[in-house]
Amino acid sequence: MKRLLTLAILFMVAGVSAEAQTRGRGGGGQPRAAAEPAAPTAPAAAQDTLIRNATVLTVSHGTLNGTDVLLHGGKITAVGQNLKAPDGARVIDGTGKFVLPGIIDAHSHSMMDGSVNECTRSVTSMANTRDILNPTAVDIYRELAGGTTAALLLHGSCNSIGGLSTTVKLKWGHPAADYPVPGAPPGIKFALGENPKRSNFNVPGLQPRYPATRMGVEETIRDAFVRARDYKRDWDDYRAAVARGEKNVIPPRRDLELDPLVEVLEGKRFVHSHCYRADEILMLIGIADEFGFKVRTFQHVLEGYKVAGEIARHGAMASTFTDFWGYKMEAYDAIAYNAAVLVRHGVVTSVNSDSDERARRLNIEAAKTMRYGGLSEEEALKLVTLNPAIQLGIDKHMGSIDVGKDADVVVWSAHPFSVYAHPEQTFVDGELLFDRQADIARRPQLEAERKALEAADANRAPAAGGTPPRTPPSVRRAYTDDDDVQDVQEDNQR
Amino acid sequence: MRHSQFRTLAALAAALLSAAAWAWAPAGAQRRPGGGVDVYAITNARVVTVSGPVIERGTVVIRDGLIAAVGAGATAPPDARTIDGTGLTVYPGLIDASTTLAIPRPTLSPTTGGGGGGFAGLFGRTEPSAVSPNSTQLPGLQPEILASDIIRPGGPEIEAARAAGITAAQTAPRGNVFLGQSAVINLAGDTPQQMIVRTPVALYVGLNPIGQGQYPGSLMGVFASVRQMLLDARRFREANEIYERSPRGLRRPEQDKSLAALLPVLSRQMPVVMQADRVREIERALDLAQEFNLNLVINGGLEADRLAARLKAANVPVLLSLNFPRRTAAASAEADPEPLRILRERVEAPKTAGRLAAAGVRFAFQSGGMTTMSDYLANASRAVEAGLARDEAVRALTLRPAEILGVSQQLGSIEVGKIANLTVTRGDLFDKNRRVTHLFIDGRQVELRPAAAATGGAANASGTWTLNVNLGGSGNERQELSATLTLQQQGERLTGSLQGQLGSGTIASGTLVGSDINFTVPITLPAPASQTTDAIFVGTVNGGEMRGTVQVVGRGPGTFTGTRAGGPPAGGGGGAAPPPGGGARTPAAGTLTGTWNVTTSAGSQQIPGTLTLQQQGTRLTGRVETPFGTADITDGSVTGDSFRVATTLSIEGQSTDLTFEGTVNGNQLSGTVTSARGSFPFSGTRTP
Repeated sequence: MKRLLTLAILFMVAGVSAEAQTRGRGGGGQPRAAAEPAAPTAPAAAQDTLIRNATVLTVSHGTLNGTDVLLHGGKITAVGQNLKAPDGARVIDGTGKFVLPGIIDAHSHSMMDGSVNECTRSVTSMANTRDILNPTAVDIYRELAGGTTAALLLHGSCNSIGGLSTTVKLKWGHPAADYPVPGAPPGIKFALGENPKRSNFNVPGLQPRYPATRMGVEETIRDAFVRARDYKRDWDDYRAAVARGEKNVIPPRRDLELDPLVEVLEGKRFVHSHCYRADEILMLIGIADEFGFKVRTFQHVLEGYKVAGEIARHGAMASTFTDFWGYKMEAYDAIAYNAAVLVRHGVVTSVNSDSDERARRLNIEAAKTMRYGGLSEEEALKLVTLNPAIQLGIDKHMGSIDVGKDADVVVWSAHPFSVYAHPEQTFVDGELLFDRQADIARRPQLEAERKALEAADANRAPAAGGTPPRTPPSVRRAYTDDDDVQDVQEDNQR
Repeated sequence: MRHSQFRTLAALAAALLSAAAWAWAPAGAQRRPGGGVDVYAITNARVVTVSGPVIERGTVVIRDGLIAAVGAGATAPPDARTIDGTGLTVYPGLIDASTTLAIPRPTLSPTTGGGGGGFAGLFGRTEPSAVSPNSTQLPGLQPEILASDIIRPGGPEIEAARAAGITAAQTAPRGNVFLGQSAVINLAGDTPQQMIVRTPVALYVGLNPIGQGQYPGSLMGVFASVRQMLLDARRFREANEIYERSPRGLRRPEQDKSLAALLPVLSRQMPVVMQADRVREIERALDLAQEFNLNLVINGGLEADRLAARLKAANVPVLLSLNFPRRTAAASAEADPEPLRILRERVEAPKTAGRLAAAGVRFAFQSGGMTTMSDYLANASRAVEAGLARDEAVRALTLRPAEILGVSQQLGSIEVGKIANLTVTRGDLFDKNRRVTHLFIDGRQVELRPAAAATGGAANASGTWTLNVNLGGSGNERQELSATLTLQQQGERLTGSLQGQLGSGTIASGTLVGSDINFTVPITLPAPASQTTDAIFVGTVNGGEMRGTVQVVGRGPGTFTGTRAGGPPAGGGGGAAPPPGGGARTPAAGTLTGTWNVTTSAGSQQIPGTLTLQQQGTRLTGRVETPFGTADITDGSVTGDSFRVATTLSIEGQSTDLTFEGTVNGNQLSGTVTSARGSFPFSGTRTP
């Protein structure tokens, strides 16, 4: 077992360097695009856009050939033939091109400053991803270059109950405040199994954190909800006392840890739970039933195919990898047919990245489910568009090409299930945030700027001495399901 | 020089020991009122008053610590010591708006342990400067810590600041989330009490996770813990108000000094200083301040100009760092090119000040933790070159910080009745060839010591010493103890550690000026006492010997003698002693070139590592490998048999500066490795 674990660690470490190389060199089929994007600038009001004569993969109502799509005021305002371009509209010849709604990544850790994990406690529902958004993270631009326009930013899987999630649109160039999707239902990360019980993350000299077993994970979650129920009662009692006109009542303490759990109990906050094994999936369904809430999504859920019926009956959804497994003990009993089996059992299923890199090519991840499990093209497309939108509770506005929905639209050079396809233009709320031709055209200019900057005094190394450089905080690279992979590497180095 | 050291010692002794020590105090406060020593007149100088017009040729009179007269018509009183100011310019004493000056560096105490001791925890963590007793909060989350309770006079950092023309500073404790409350201090004075101008000034909120298993361990957790404590403080206030109205029938609210310390912050009486450089960091600080209606001050402010409109609308001032980012090491050939963002940032940094001024955002300069204080005015000059008006720049160094810090009635301009802090230069403050010629703090002239004072010809204390300490007393209280002292000298500065019967510890501050040695070691006394206390050594070095007096707080005064043994401190089997009074010997080129296995002792743990060094002349390049990561040396130098290499590692997602300072002796290395967490001894051997 130890050997397997070591192998898993080696695998992951190898994965890192390969990924890092890709990142540095600009990577295979993708344009170097993203290496040097323009500095974020203040956006103007979105210009109208008419995409003419494209093959439109609506996702919601089939494929429309030779069709125009009009983006106006940040919305899709018309889909049809021979649409008239409004004055001043940008017109894109879509002949031979494919139009797909923006891909939605249901499990991302992009654009987060510092650690994605608050690891020190077993329940960290006070931690909020909203507090650490980094709108300058270059991954945002790279993901736009891969056709992804929205993501669910999740806390890591360090603890049984983790932090609060943020549903964002990738509004490159905008300030952080523009990223969260207005009105998107709030969420929270849960995690089961090896990560919360810290099986693979012993740090020498540090007291191991509770829990250390799956039993302990269950107990931690149950205990938290018992506390949340008591807390809610304290506040209800207090409010009742105040309503009765009682004076001199000291209010209960507001507890940022328990507030979100009360929201879960009240059905106001979605639970997105990291999980692998069938038994732990059933365990969480049991707790949810006991306390009367629904698990919104099971994340990773590699053994979901074993309990697809139970997941469907609970009313939960599933977000998985297509063919990524074996990186630790609990991730061995996986099959590439998982997504298809879940879909066939009536579970709303998505395929996610959990990786700044994979988030650039979720189209290919979706395509694999046609090969493994025989999903139809539209079912496969839904895995990265409409289904994640449903899971995040934003499908009224996103996830398909329908009149009235947000103009989150990508023009692809070929069918997005082709390995040769790449996005030509990516629109978010009607705003052109990635344009491949503009990116290519800008590169000589950026090279010239680089030359000029490198010649500046501040960018030349002094002969010796001087003030040590101020170093930017290093950015965590999330590239597997394992949010704690840096810890693993460090353990491995020891 | 002796005089100054004596003063420092006296101050420490006075503060920590017994009233008897007062007898040592020389020119103390007692002498000031009567004597003419403290009356000065600077005549015929250009006077930049800041509050009023520049006086092209005028006189400034200082009496009894205050500015007594200023103007073209002012005359030197007969009892004044007159300084001919022809060719000199007198400025209000410069104020560094945010520092940790006079705050002792945390030291690792192996026996007390603190929050556990993971290997990774030994480096890169910010350790709180002090721990509040009977607090409801853990160290790192204690807003009740007061800078004024922990400052110590003297030390090389204060001298370096003064050499840069700085006379006063806001100083704040180090720490994690709630760092504590700052003070404005004058950078002179024999006691902490004499240094303090105003306390408390502002609450410092840092964004440094505590980690090592202790909450908060992430930036998310930091924000959550700040928010929770502010909510708790609100409830604490409300509960106490309700209870005070009518205590009968109510359980009394628990007392809580941490929450109580936050009440002036909630009522906006006390400003909150938050470190924020980049747009998103400043936005987070502004959002938090808005959420809790805090009186915010931004510290750092690298990209503050991009949020100028919001800062101005919210009336949030900026303590703008002069520690501009710049490239300090040549990139290795294999490295990826630096991102444009970094290249742009370095070029843009000096422009921020001018843009803030143009937008009407109040800002004051601060040193941003720079280690080479000569950059302070040099970088202010760069801001001027990049578009900041000269008078705005002078203001940002003087009156503006005084206003932001609430001391503008006392400091910041040359006006009658204000504290006589003056910075006198030959040449304009922003001229490359400007030189600080005189510095007055609290009306007394301060001796300026160039930071880069050569030690040529003077003693070099680097090496391993065997000390015999005779701890005074008499009869059966008389104690003779032996200890091993490892010293590294750089310039006048001493670092190193002490181990033995006296206890063990790392040198907190130490200097060797000429042959005068002076160092303070917070030592952990051996069991059963096991408490940490200061041992203050003052003496002289003569070749391979040193002798002097030692004060161990709580143990009475004593004497010590030492002999230099040489060789590495641990397991090295003592090599030949370095030449006495050395420092002049230059080793053959390439002496340090090679691969060295080094072991760092951090408490009870031994941390392995490798230094791969290439020496070219006095320059060192190469690589540092540790269990936590590997990085190229960013800065390395050799002086005689002493060397210094600096690098930056990324440990658990945090950038951590490590500095190895030590001496080489054949195939042996020894010295001290310093990180944000403290200093630890290391030794090393060359691999064949």
